[in-house]
Amino acid sequence: MRARALAIAISVVVVLLAVLWLTHRGPVPRPLIAQARGHCVLNTARMRRIHMMWLRQVRTRVVRDGMALRADRLTRCVSCHVQKNAQGHLIPIDAPGQFCSSCHVYAGVKIDCFACHAAVPEPAFAPGYFSRAHHIQAAFRQPQILPRRFKALLSRAAP
Amino acid sequence: MTDPDSFVPQDTKAQAESEDSCDVGRRRLLAMAGGVAVLALAPGVTVWARTMRAKGLVDAHPVRYGLLIDANHCQSGCDACVRACNQYNGLSGQTGPDNAQWIRKVTIQDPKTGFTRTFPVMCQHCAKPACVAVCPTGASFRRADGIVLVDKHRCIGCRYCLMACPYQARSFVAHKVDDQKPWAPRGKGTAEGCTLCVERIDRGKLPACVAACARRGHKAMLFGNLHDPQSAIAKRLAQYASTTIRADLGMEPGVHYRGI
Repeated sequence: MRARALAIAISVVVVLLAVLWLTHRGPVPRPLIAQARGHCVLNTARMRRIHMMWLRQVRTRVVRDGMALRADRLTRCVSCHVQKNAQGHLIPIDAPGQFCSSCHVYAGVKIDCFACHAAVPEPAFAPGYFSRAHHIQAAFRQPQILPRRFKALLSRAAP
Repeated sequence: MTDPDSFVPQDTKAQAESEDSCDVGRRRLLAMAGGVAVLALAPGVTVWARTMRAKGLVDAHPVRYGLLIDANHCQSGCDACVRACNQYNGLSGQTGPDNAQWIRKVTIQDPKTGFTRTFPVMCQHCAKPACVAVCPTGASFRRADGIVLVDKHRCIGCRYCLMACPYQARSFVAHKVDDQKPWAPRGKGTAEGCTLCVERIDRGKLPACVAACARRGHKAMLFGNLHDPQSAIAKRLAQYASTTIRADLGMEPGVHYRGI
């Protein structure tokens, strides 16, 4: 009797494992991140790790303190990282497979930036529009605006 | 010993010490007490000054942006300012209860004489704005240069500001938006109003409505720094009589009107 129960239990486990093995689709593929034009305000590894804190700080500076000419505002991210389709039309940056969503789908993190912000730059807003902001861009290459508690994050190796 | 008529320069410090040394001790004590008092009060004074500035009760900033709208020059059939605002900020231009309106043309008439006036009304960018006072999250705020804005990162869409504003200058975005302009982010569930085209001002350009009025040649709108006595708007305000809408409410609008 006990041997029979054991056999049933083992077969159930084997069937479950077989179902899992047959249905699993392998690891989630690493996101394919599109190449941007121009230079970022920060190097890629650091930006990947800290862009959320970075943007949160910059938005306060831009909206509340009126530093609207900052080169590292979200509008600028969009204008460099946006892609065009085969017909030459701009694709929203949060569309599936685009710059923002490719990583955010992989990481399972929802973004709501583009509920309010435009996901495509205005033609006049393409690189060059901010010509007056280039000196500011140079000043913000280094993450000097970040508070100390992010220093540990910065020194850690990027994924 | 000393000739009372001759002047002998003396070391005043040595004299003071020799004559009444007890006074030196008192001075030191007073100086120390003063220092301690300054150290003790300085943080409080700083916090007080900050609070007063945050509440808009002290307006010592060198810049306060404002408008002067001359109803004598505003044409009754013209809505160039409204259309320019809608186009620049990506608004639909419709005037239903669900549509955002940042600026509107208002026509007033004296019922006795039939005298009619028309002029644009938008956010009045008050020095003591009611929308900022009622906002529970600090989303409605007044920038240091006097522009009243909604920080949509903090707005929870409670619509208190819509209720509080006596100029009905605030709108609520009730539906999903996906054709925003990059310089004017706006989205469902947030309050919004005239930003005085803050993005243009920061780039050194005139607000869209003022530029449109000037392009039409009406020149009924004048934008400038109210706190700069040399600015055109301050000179004009000093020269001619002007008023603000509902000045009795004491909110000190930054938008001044002439001829109403």
